[in-house]
Amino acid sequence: MVESIVSTGLAIGCIYALIGITYNVMFSASRVFSFTAGMLGMLGGVLGALFIARLGIPLVVGFLLVLAAGAIFGVITEIVAVRPVLKSLDQHLYVLSTLALALMVQQFTAIEWGTEARPFPRLFDIARGGFDQQFWLPMLACIVVIAGLELLYRHTLVGHAFLAIAEDTFAARALGLPERSLRMASFALAGVIGALAGFAGGEMLLAFFGNAPLLTFYGFVPVALGGMGNNRGAVVAGLLLGLFQQTANFLVGGIFASVAVFTVFIIVLLARPEGLAGASAQRRV
Amino acid sequence: MVTPAAEWDSGRADTRVVASTIGAALPFLVLLAVGLTFPLFGGGYWGVIATRACVYWVLVSGLNLVVGFAGQLAIGWVSLLTLGAYTTSVLVAGNATPALAPYLALVIAAIVGAIFGLIIGLPALRLRTFYFAITTLGFATIVTQVALAWQSVTGGGVGVPGPVFPKPFDSQWGFYYFCFGLAAICTWMTLNVAGSRFGRALTAIRDAEVAAEASGIAKPPLLALVFLFSGAVAGVAGGLFASLQSYITPDAFTLDLSVLFFIAILIGGHGSILGPLLGTILLTVLPEFAAPLVAWSTFLYAVLLLVIVLAMPGGIAELLDFKNRRPLESGRAIVPRPELLPRVLGGPTDAGALTLHQVALSFGGVHAIDGLDLEIQPGQVHGLIGPNGSGKTTTLNVISGYYAQQSGTVRLNGVALRLLARHRRAHLRIARTFQTPRVVRSASVLENVMIGGTIDGEATFVESLLSLPRHRRDEAALREKAMLALATVGLERLAAGRADRLQHSELRFTEIARALTLRPAFLLLDEPAAGLSADEIGRLGALLVAIAKAGTGVLLVEHHADLIFDICHHVTVLNLGRMLAAGTPAEIRSHREVVNAYLGG
Amino acid sequence: MPISAAEPLLDIAGLSAGYGKIGVLHGVALSVGANEVVALLGPNGAGKTTLLRAVSGLLPWSGRVHFAGRDLAGTSPRDTVRAGLAHVIEGHRVFTQLAVIDNLLLAAYDLSRGERTARVEEVFALFPEIAAKRRERAVALSGGQQQILAVAQGLVRRPRLLMLDEPSAGLSPVLVDRVLVVVRRLREAGTAVLLVEQLIEKALALADRVYALARGSIVLEAKTREADLPQRLEHAYLATAHRHA
Repeated sequence: MVESIVSTGLAIGCIYALIGITYNVMFSASRVFSFTAGMLGMLGGVLGALFIARLGIPLVVGFLLVLAAGAIFGVITEIVAVRPVLKSLDQHLYVLSTLALALMVQQFTAIEWGTEARPFPRLFDIARGGFDQQFWLPMLACIVVIAGLELLYRHTLVGHAFLAIAEDTFAARALGLPERSLRMASFALAGVIGALAGFAGGEMLLAFFGNAPLLTFYGFVPVALGGMGNNRGAVVAGLLLGLFQQTANFLVGGIFASVAVFTVFIIVLLARPEGLAGASAQRRV
Repeated sequence: MVTPAAEWDSGRADTRVVASTIGAALPFLVLLAVGLTFPLFGGGYWGVIATRACVYWVLVSGLNLVVGFAGQLAIGWVSLLTLGAYTTSVLVAGNATPALAPYLALVIAAIVGAIFGLIIGLPALRLRTFYFAITTLGFATIVTQVALAWQSVTGGGVGVPGPVFPKPFDSQWGFYYFCFGLAAICTWMTLNVAGSRFGRALTAIRDAEVAAEASGIAKPPLLALVFLFSGAVAGVAGGLFASLQSYITPDAFTLDLSVLFFIAILIGGHGSILGPLLGTILLTVLPEFAAPLVAWSTFLYAVLLLVIVLAMPGGIAELLDFKNRRPLESGRAIVPRPELLPRVLGGPTDAGALTLHQVALSFGGVHAIDGLDLEIQPGQVHGLIGPNGSGKTTTLNVISGYYAQQSGTVRLNGVALRLLARHRRAHLRIARTFQTPRVVRSASVLENVMIGGTIDGEATFVESLLSLPRHRRDEAALREKAMLALATVGLERLAAGRADRLQHSELRFTEIARALTLRPAFLLLDEPAAGLSADEIGRLGALLVAIAKAGTGVLLVEHHADLIFDICHHVTVLNLGRMLAAGTPAEIRSHREVVNAYLGG
Repeated sequence: MPISAAEPLLDIAGLSAGYGKIGVLHGVALSVGANEVVALLGPNGAGKTTLLRAVSGLLPWSGRVHFAGRDLAGTSPRDTVRAGLAHVIEGHRVFTQLAVIDNLLLAAYDLSRGERTARVEEVFALFPEIAAKRRERAVALSGGQQQILAVAQGLVRRPRLLMLDEPSAGLSPVLVDRVLVVVRRLREAGTAVLLVEQLIEKALALADRVYALARGSIVLEAKTREADLPQRLEHAYLATAHRHA
């Protein structure tokens, strides 16, 4: 029993952590939180089921298509919902524009794909049981993303450019960095990460339009607790969240588990609005 | 062209006000007429739609104050509808307590709504926008799940029957009139709030928080009041909703509904009552017309929201704001009338001097102010100059209470000012202006200036809500005082226009008018001459001299050497957070070190 | 396209710019020749920073700005850098989370890898004190070293004109001299410099010509060798109210 709680908890925690990273990557590029992070996770699952199960596309091709779709939706988020609003005086409008976009996509999915949760295809033809792929796929995805981001941010010029824009976008612009393309690329990357989270977690979460609001909230908790823009914090917080949720599930049942998560979340936030790890990357005074 | 003070005719201002009030009331009167006569031309089916619109509006009218006026993005407010619906239904059905009368249950639903409104709302004080929006969403999900799980009381997934109100409200049209009556009352109450110092204070918090603080507006109690009121009406709306549905289950309270309420306000435009009212009606009715596309209704709402945010953030309210489309006269000049000052300021105060003694404040490792002594006498203009980074604005911020000094004292009349909350300094009659004008762009110039007089209002929130006599007296007095302040700075002809149509220099003088409405003993100005033409600087100078002569102590932080040397009685030069020199303008002008520091050496 | 001897490298006429509704610059005229060091002085709030930002494309502007014969209307900062005009903004804003060498590599973002490394080594040769810290994160540098790094970033692309916004701000006198020595060498090496400075004596010691900006317009233009310059400057800044009302 404990085994099951731990493996489910960690697996789902990895999915939450990846959505948290999606939020963070978008935030680093634009200082904006987007409601589309949860939507991207949902699309990863739904499109994966659509391409592979329903349309019969081979696994690898289907997977790449899902990632491409994630990148596209990431860029759409930037163009439609973020860019126009950054220019205006009321910075809070981005909450509404990204909410609108996320709702549109979610509703469209509900209408075209259906409101029922459909099964997600089994990706590897291995027998079920034990440490099953539905558990280690999300964990693998999480490890790959973290390692990949580390590589990107530390060792590539583009990654450095992302960090520069995240820290001081005005100085980056003055230096001649292509701020706009870099931001779009960041959002595309965030889209890929979100879609990957949904795809890897497809078997656990199923292909379900209702995953969007679920992941929007549960994917945000790691960000709030781990500190804005702090990917490592998001991972730790995500894993803890997953474990806590599964334990609460087991002890008091599903409904009250959600209440428990929410209550802890609110209490921590009110006590430390900057998150447990504190705000990351120095802001210019 | 200066007209004598005797010609300032507040009566003329009154007739203009009455005329524009009738114009503003007209749409509401039309809606009232249509609503009252609706049963005559609407069929049974449309009656249900109309009743639903009224019920939704009861909730949205309160939420409008939270979202549209206070700017708090409470996306998950449907949770209160759920709470109200279940509270009323359960109490009437007698599942948990002996069965209660529907009206009593409705009152209790209002109380429950108020309490939970406060609970969900208060995190807004600590959390940034997106975080707060997400927590309200989370709360909405929780409430629905609890309703699902607490089967013994709520009937779980099966649900519970809604309350039926006694005669004459048990028939379809009877119930319609009940809901319509409540909707009309809510409209009236929120209109009263909008036109009160509370409504203006909310918009100030939303758009110009530092200016709100400087005008003495305290955010927490005001938001608490608004959340209580909003929660209460949402609870009532819940009870009505349950009755309308006849039977409620948890899945009647979807995220879609929450979004609908929210979007109605956005479409309507913030800071307006009419806009969100029309928005609510529109969104309730829209699915009926888009019949084949009913499943797409939320999709369409979302598209509508996106379009509004990107293309028309001002919403319907901006579309209907015809009077702000008329061009303003070009070539307008700002001609202050200093002779009106005694009426605005109300005679010299008996305040003593405002002194700083060894004040120090560091940010990180930087000594912004490093042991500063300063004294501002009432009736004098005191200039504060120095290179960038010398601590001028920081000093002003310490005096206005925005920053707390780390050591040293600030004294008024010999009494040390305690490091209180930011909004308390206004009560000591210390007013200020800002380096970049902080105004509520979508409000009128007059409303912006009236914000300055917020703390002098005596009516409570409830008195304003119900438009009791003391509220009306407050408003009339404040309006007159603000118009006088505008006339003093020379902007009375622009009083009714929206603030964002003004030129930069006019905004600066508007800020001064707002500060004057506070009847300040001390007026602190942060680089008021920036962006002004030479003529305007001259008039600003004359106005500031007159303000000092009327008894107010003026602190002028400036870069414009000419203005400083022209009008100041006393000048202090700062460099690197310390006083470099102090004396009369003539002394400072020839002080070698000052010349270097001023040139930037 | 060859530039005739008469046309300056940077030629500004009738430049107006501001922030939103606030107009800061009103019809500014200024020029910088190739191989010249020009100082731009003026009291705070006069618009010196605004001027540099307008020229490099960080702010919208109206008027006429020509650089190396090319019209800069509507160009982005990225394109002005490519055209050979580098702007080192005020406040030694380097990327603190990145290593010194990465800060410099970013300045050469558009170049090919080989060229990038070569140019960065060139710049390290000019500034041994930061070369010594090439792998350290910029946050570990002192304020003065960060300012040198910022100037170095401006030089990576071998600009024809380098605009420096108050490079001495917050620096100790030793480091100030260090930076200004580099500026002198730049002129010798063929780079023109437009220097906004607070330290008037030092700026005058270095520059060939000087402009004074006050309240958004040029109030003085002179060669630095002219005798009564200090008095004329003071007069230009502090000119008091014998103006028309």
